[in-house]
Amino acid sequence: MKRILVGALGALALTATAAIAEYPEKEIQGIIQWGAGGSTDTVMRSVTPHAEEALGGTVVMQNMTGAVGAIALNHVAGSAADGYTLLMGAENPMLYKIMGLGDKDYGEFIPISILARGTPILVANPDAPFNDYAEMIAHIKENPGEVKFGSTGPGGLPSVINAMIGAVEGELDVTSVPYDGDGPALTGLQGGAIDVMPAVLGAAIEGIRAGNMKPLAVMDVAANEQLPDAPYVTQFNEAYSTYLPWGPFFGVFVPKGTPDDVVAKLADAYAAGAQHPDFVQLMNDRGFTLMGISGEEADAFLTKWQQGTAWLLQDAGLTKASPEEFGIARPGE
Amino acid sequence: MTALMDFLTVVTQPDLLLLVGLGTFAGVYVGAIPGLSVTMAVSILISFTFAWDVYPAISLMIGIYMGGVYGGSRTAILLNIPGAPSAIATALDGFPMAKRGEAGTAIGVTTVMSFIGGFLGIGVLALAAPLVSDFALKFQPRDYMLLAILGILLVGSLSQGSLVKGIFAGALGIAIGAVGRDPLTFAERFTFNFQILEGGISFIAVMIGMFGVSEALLQLHHVDKDAVRQKISRIVPSLSTVKKHLPLSLQTSAIGVTIGALPGTGGDIAALMAYDHAKRVTKNPERPFGDGAMEGLVAPETANNAAVGGAFIPMMTLGIPGDAVTAIMIGALFIHGLNPGPMLMIDQPDMFWFIVGCLVMANCFMLLFGLTGIKLFTKIVEMPRSVLIPLIMLLSIVGAYAVNNAIADVYWMLGFGIFGYFMRHYGYPLGPVILGVILSRLLDDNWRRAIISEREDLGAFFAGILTSPLSLVLFVAVILIFVSQTPIWGRAKSQLFKRRDAQS
Amino acid sequence: MQHIDPEHHDGTSDATPGGELDKRRPGELAFAAFLLLASLGLLWSAFGIENPFGPNGLSSPRSIPVATTLAMAVAAAIVFLTTVRLPLDNAESFAKDILPGVVLLFVVFLVAYGLLLRPLGFLPTSALFLVASIKILAKRGWLWTLGVSLGSLLVIWLIFRIVFTVLMPAGIVPEAEFIQFFRGLSSGGAEQ
Repeated sequence: MKRILVGALGALALTATAAIAEYPEKEIQGIIQWGAGGSTDTVMRSVTPHAEEALGGTVVMQNMTGAVGAIALNHVAGSAADGYTLLMGAENPMLYKIMGLGDKDYGEFIPISILARGTPILVANPDAPFNDYAEMIAHIKENPGEVKFGSTGPGGLPSVINAMIGAVEGELDVTSVPYDGDGPALTGLQGGAIDVMPAVLGAAIEGIRAGNMKPLAVMDVAANEQLPDAPYVTQFNEAYSTYLPWGPFFGVFVPKGTPDDVVAKLADAYAAGAQHPDFVQLMNDRGFTLMGISGEEADAFLTKWQQGTAWLLQDAGLTKASPEEFGIARPGE
Repeated sequence: MTALMDFLTVVTQPDLLLLVGLGTFAGVYVGAIPGLSVTMAVSILISFTFAWDVYPAISLMIGIYMGGVYGGSRTAILLNIPGAPSAIATALDGFPMAKRGEAGTAIGVTTVMSFIGGFLGIGVLALAAPLVSDFALKFQPRDYMLLAILGILLVGSLSQGSLVKGIFAGALGIAIGAVGRDPLTFAERFTFNFQILEGGISFIAVMIGMFGVSEALLQLHHVDKDAVRQKISRIVPSLSTVKKHLPLSLQTSAIGVTIGALPGTGGDIAALMAYDHAKRVTKNPERPFGDGAMEGLVAPETANNAAVGGAFIPMMTLGIPGDAVTAIMIGALFIHGLNPGPMLMIDQPDMFWFIVGCLVMANCFMLLFGLTGIKLFTKIVEMPRSVLIPLIMLLSIVGAYAVNNAIADVYWMLGFGIFGYFMRHYGYPLGPVILGVILSRLLDDNWRRAIISEREDLGAFFAGILTSPLSLVLFVAVILIFVSQTPIWGRAKSQLFKRRDAQS
Repeated sequence: MQHIDPEHHDGTSDATPGGELDKRRPGELAFAAFLLLASLGLLWSAFGIENPFGPNGLSSPRSIPVATTLAMAVAAAIVFLTTVRLPLDNAESFAKDILPGVVLLFVVFLVAYGLLLRPLGFLPTSALFLVASIKILAKRGWLWTLGVSLGSLLVIWLIFRIVFTVLMPAGIVPEAEFIQFFRGLSSGGAEQ
């Protein structure tokens, strides 16, 4: 029945249009892992219309939240590998396994495009009694347990940065106050509920410009174009260069098994979308580093990211299961 | 002077004005259908208005927002099914009025009061935004926690009948809100190892089930009875009615703006708190609350529309969303090449005044569309129940699915619908359940943030409350309201004993 | 207000949709017992919540769930004990006043809808549901029933699917191909 109907429609369509038998012959579902209004949502909703143009099809985007994105990931992993269901997500799934959040990660997917990477930055309340990274470390060592760090749950960006600081400076006695996202945490920072927040640069940049928060150190190996005056962390401690550059990322994925020509078409479309001046502008303004990589390059990036981050968290004792159990090799091995 | 020009931009450009009007009109209907939410509509508009300039895009979004917040009251009054969470309190007194055939009056009062509340909210936004946002930032986790407790004490005013059953319902709501993976530690709570439970239970699904499906099932008892004929000859309330409720509406608007301006709380909590406030300050309502008291409409409707202006305050001054809709609008501003944040008001004051202008126009359109086209709405209620009931059920199903595109939400919605049906029959109030679900995260997250900040030291925690003026005021309010409920508690107890006495 | 007028309170607001204050409605005791047992079960489950990354102290994910389920259990116990002492209302029967046949039928319909939604898809399931329920409730002719139910289904589908792009499970109907086809037509064959 279905086939006859499609066939009839196809025949009809052929008379009206040139040819629509090729992919995409129907609308594509884009499942956004995070809620409306978040960074992932904003990035995906701003790149996809440009990609649609290149693709000549429609991508219907839907937000599917819950369980730190695992609900959306499992949904897409369970759907047909025909290129009609895309997963639009951030970096978190790479840590699901070691955090005991699920048994799937991006290993079950083919990356269509890793769009952009964020840069972490340490920001503090303007009234905090320290003005840069070195003073902060000194202050924490003098006043153990006094300084409150914001966090976004195990495996979130702040926990990785904390693990990094712990690996470089030794264990620091700070209080981690959990928030459900860097937006609410930065709000808390401005109200004085927390003193320091490791956040992604884009979320903090406007607050820094207005003087509502002060930058302690950009967690990178060089100064950031958007904040040229802010110090970067390797200025204070060279040891960070082992781990940096590091940052959260956004990407579009399809389940493994999707036909190669479909993957290629999608990858081309998103690569074109990522190059669109409007999108480039948006990424720059928000302090993201544009990537737009796919194929083997993206695979290599994901593997490296997962190894580095997973072992960092493992060494800091923040994981539920060892990366070894899932065959995630220690970096450099 | 330039500020005035920016403010008037929307009026001087007919196409922008048209978009605001169109948005408001659509918003009223989006808001009225349970399951179609303003949040959804605005996030779809982002893709839809992608290629537009920023002014038209914002005009349309603001129209939908304003209309949608108002629209929720329509179905609450006519069908006892709140179209949006912020209209839950409206149903408590609006529906009893509709049952008397006074839906026209109820809608009229609601519209005018929403208009007044909306204006007061916008007024505060325009005149005192930096002040209010400074105040809102002062709220610490413990203050949010106290606010949540204050909210939970509303169980008393939402429970007609047995208070114990109300407490049960409220606690059940908090427990429902805790289901799923805890967002702070990822611990599984009440999931019983079912994957379907990991994502938690959408509170919109609970609301639609409890109010929509259970109401529809209950209506089946009277499927053959004719619907109540609604008098809609006089809709616009008289000036004396408006005047009489003006003091109350000022107070509840203040509640609305403040709660709306706080990041993380919005119109739904504001409306319930305002309802409770009205119940407290109204000495002699013409009719008892829950039976069609006019004050019971005035309070939530002024508050939830005032919350709209409130929600824009942290958004415009700090780039911090006041609620879910403003969070999406911030994303929209980014996409359109602006940088919402504390600098926006300094770099681009035109944007601020343009948004204020749009809000004012949307508010006026809301009044216009609210007072016209009521006939169509009342026709819906006068539709034969044999058609209306299945349609309500179908809309509830689609609406529950639409929240998060999850079939699990449909199952929850149906489950809570059937459960709610029995709750109604056995005298368990439904309002507290929804209240509990709304407040669950606010209470849980902030309690834990507060106590973690003090390193689990209860002494330091209370010392913190007593030394901060804001916390102290909230704490005293909690105590006062709790004590003021003891007479109710006493009455409830005596009622319990009366039941026992009657038996012996 | 001893007696609640069932005419006036037929399910409106949050009040009881009938029954008398000093009598126990049919099934009320069983419902109270169910709630008590469920609360105790949840309380036990709340105690089992483990903080995966720290001690189970005041700030653990366990604290609020334990407090709230404890409140549930205590409230449910009080309700149960009060209900036990009330005499049964003999004027009402479970099958007539609490769960009449037509309500039971719709509960079955709703459960069936939930089960069929995924395999059959939104459009066929909803069509079946609307036609069956409107036919049963309105007792009108087939033409009228079909017209009303399919007409309203079309409107709902257009609003949710086209305007709000809510993708309900398509099931056996090739919805997406349909829409793409019309999209192709409306863009005047400009499809690449």
